[in-house]
Amino acid sequence: FSRSLQTVLFVALLCLDLRTHVGSAPICPHGHTGCHILSLADLFDRVIQHSARLHGLSSDLHSEFEHFFLPSKNHIGRVYRKCHTSSILTPNGKENAQKLAREELTEVILKLLTAWRDPLSQLHQSMAHQQDFNSFSSNKALELSDMVHELRKGVEKVTEKMQLLGMISNSVNGLSSSEALLPASESGEAMSDYELVYCFRRDSDKVQNYLKILKCRIVPEHGC
Amino acid sequence: MELRTSLSLLCVLLCMLGNQAITPHRDRPEDYTPATHTPEDYTPDTPVLPHFTGCRSREQETFRCWWSAGTFSNLSEPGALVVFFQMKNTPLSDWQECPEYTATVENECYFSKTFTHIWTSYCVQLRATAQNITYDEFCFTVENIVHPDPPVGLNWTLLNVSRSGLNFDILVRWAPPPSADVHTGWMSLKYEVQYRQRNASHWDKLDLESGTQQSIYGLQTDKEYEVRIHCKMSAFHNFGEFSDSIFVHVAPIPSKESVFPTMVLLVSGVVGLLILLMLVIFSQQQRLMVILLPPVPAPKIKGIDPELLKKGKMDQLNSLLSSQHMYNQDTYREDPWVEFIQLDLDDAGEKSGSSDTQRLLGFTRPGPKGDDDSGRASCYDPDLLPDAEGLLAAHCEMEEHHPLVSESGPSTPSPEATDAPFLPFRTQPVGQSWINMDFYAQVSDVTPAGGVVLSPGQQSETPGMNPDEKKKKGEDAGDEEVEKEKKLQLLVVGSDGGYSPEVVARQVESSAPYSPAPENAYHALPPEPGEEPQTWSVGYLVPDGEAQAPYFLPEAPPASVLPPVSDYTVVQEVDGQHSLLLNPSAPQSPACPPNPTKHLPSMPAVPMGYLTPELLENLSP
Repeated sequence: FSRSLQTVLFVALLCLDLRTHVGSAPICPHGHTGCHILSLADLFDRVIQHSARLHGLSSDLHSEFEHFFLPSKNHIGRVYRKCHTSSILTPNGKENAQKLAREELTEVILKLLTAWRDPLSQLHQSMAHQQDFNSFSSNKALELSDMVHELRKGVEKVTEKMQLLGMISNSVNGLSSSEALLPASESGEAMSDYELVYCFRRDSDKVQNYLKILKCRIVPEHGC
Repeated sequence: MELRTSLSLLCVLLCMLGNQAITPHRDRPEDYTPATHTPEDYTPDTPVLPHFTGCRSREQETFRCWWSAGTFSNLSEPGALVVFFQMKNTPLSDWQECPEYTATVENECYFSKTFTHIWTSYCVQLRATAQNITYDEFCFTVENIVHPDPPVGLNWTLLNVSRSGLNFDILVRWAPPPSADVHTGWMSLKYEVQYRQRNASHWDKLDLESGTQQSIYGLQTDKEYEVRIHCKMSAFHNFGEFSDSIFVHVAPIPSKESVFPTMVLLVSGVVGLLILLMLVIFSQQQRLMVILLPPVPAPKIKGIDPELLKKGKMDQLNSLLSSQHMYNQDTYREDPWVEFIQLDLDDAGEKSGSSDTQRLLGFTRPGPKGDDDSGRASCYDPDLLPDAEGLLAAHCEMEEHHPLVSESGPSTPSPEATDAPFLPFRTQPVGQSWINMDFYAQVSDVTPAGGVVLSPGQQSETPGMNPDEKKKKGEDAGDEEVEKEKKLQLLVVGSDGGYSPEVVARQVESSAPYSPAPENAYHALPPEPGEEPQTWSVGYLVPDGEAQAPYFLPEAPPASVLPPVSDYTVVQEVDGQHSLLLNPSAPQSPACPPNPTKHLPSMPAVPMGYLTPELLENLSP
């Protein structure tokens, strides 16, 4: 009797295991049958979630910086800061973003993400070396660098999918070998850590909003 | 360098603390505070310059700025103060005047969509129209000054009321502000619900919620609550205005069920259960005891009743043990501690230089028949008795240099062993302990060849013992010799290192008067309480069925017939000449001078006598 019970339990375990496997939805390369293929909307959702997280993290880092560096009353000097991504033309409003072509919007997103890959690792290294910051902040910088990298890959995948589905033309160019914009201020000096964080916070907000607008245009939903 | 950094850090911290003390409500500096912020409650005689009171955006698409003239009443006329703004782009744009002064609201500058650029730094300046004076300047970026409108449609529904009727839970729902474009994702909002009791001053805050509903738990029924909500952009810090409060009130519901019957029921149930448990325990006490405290199993031998062991007769025990097949002749053969006295019959006639005891013990001579039983030091000669001769293991030597024979009796279990004269050796039993000696065979005779004849009475049918005899004889022994039923009772008595000449052959005669069980070939020597002679080495031949048999010493029957003596005599002491003084109570106590070569240690007066007078005679050279 015990043996039969054991076999029953074993079979039940197997079935349970199989069921959990079935429940997950792996991404199938090039549409294998039987796989649950992620739709473009799902891809967009994932990417948008990631960008929201990225923006939240950069905002936290910026808050820490602001607590650390006493916010000066002189806002002019502080605000007037040229980021290295200022040369990238970005739509600065909702309507402008909505009017922009899909390809261009995608390209802007990718440009922004690419431009921040190196400066963020630079930021992490400089933060890690300084004694002023605790390890928590410098870890955040490292995490930001990783997340930017992942987000860029995600957006590339979305772009491929869009091109595959014919939603955008194949004119989105040269993303892999985009020029590395070295962060430099007008005077030619390297940007300080605070400036980098400030600029990145702004740019991550841009990326998040652009992605949302892009999704709304590509995948029509209620209210778009 | 480090010192400077730490000092600067210290200064920074102190300044921060000071700032925080002065301006507790200070929010994001970009957001609200103009460069020169003067609180309203300053004394009026201090002139207050015109300043910006704030800039805000509601939906991240437009924004407004407000200013105040301060104490300069002459500047409070419309048009006296103008606002200029500049966008910090590349290229740096010029200062432009406020695109629209709101008509309905005083001192407000409205920036429409065309003038609102997100992610762009703005600076606004408050200037006097007439003079070229800039009273205030304020710089910001639009996304940092966004304060969303309050959510709309706040309502609540009752989730449940607790059993006691004292508490209830509600679900609060709302809708995002219509001005915020959440559908396209332009703005992602987070909501915060606050509630308080009607007359309380402190608001309880719930966690930030991304959705459009939230539950409030643990409200009290007889109290009225006020609930409000506001929101902010996620990842930013500026909350918008609060919505209008809603009021929540639930009348207390009298609880239907009373507590008392439940308690009574519970208590009675528990009591009943306890009673049942007690009954079960008492009725099944025995079984429970067995289960909980299992009896420790006593050592058992399969098939043997321990009761029999306690009070059974020796013969029964003997048969019982023999039937157990526990005594494998193989193990018997290989047991190193079972020593056999090697006897050499071939050299019976010759006198060798070695002492008899040595011969007995087989030390100096190789096995006569090439016996390679190296472990044997006892009187054993495998090929000793080809015929029916009793075996006796004694290690006092005999007159004829008879090697001690350890063989048992005749090959065939014939009741009459030999034609040798029957010499019952009897010694008076020293104690009652000698009475039951069923495990020993009485030596009846010793043949001139040195063989020991056991008394025929002992050849009782213990077939299981035959293999032992076979074993004792060794491999060379013929089968007929194996057939002896007489067991070997062999005791090699040795003192420390050597051997002691005292050999007590205890013969157990089946026909002995004291032995009422004739069919047993052997008598067990019951161990005296606590006694083993310390000097006796342990070499004994174990007949089958007697692993625990104590010593029993075969006895070499003398050549002459002696009057019946008691079987055993207690050696009381040993005199200086190495004579054994036996128990004076014995009828004969011959002073048998022991073999001088024999080392006779002084023996304690053991009640268990191992020496017989006859042996003592034989001990003499």
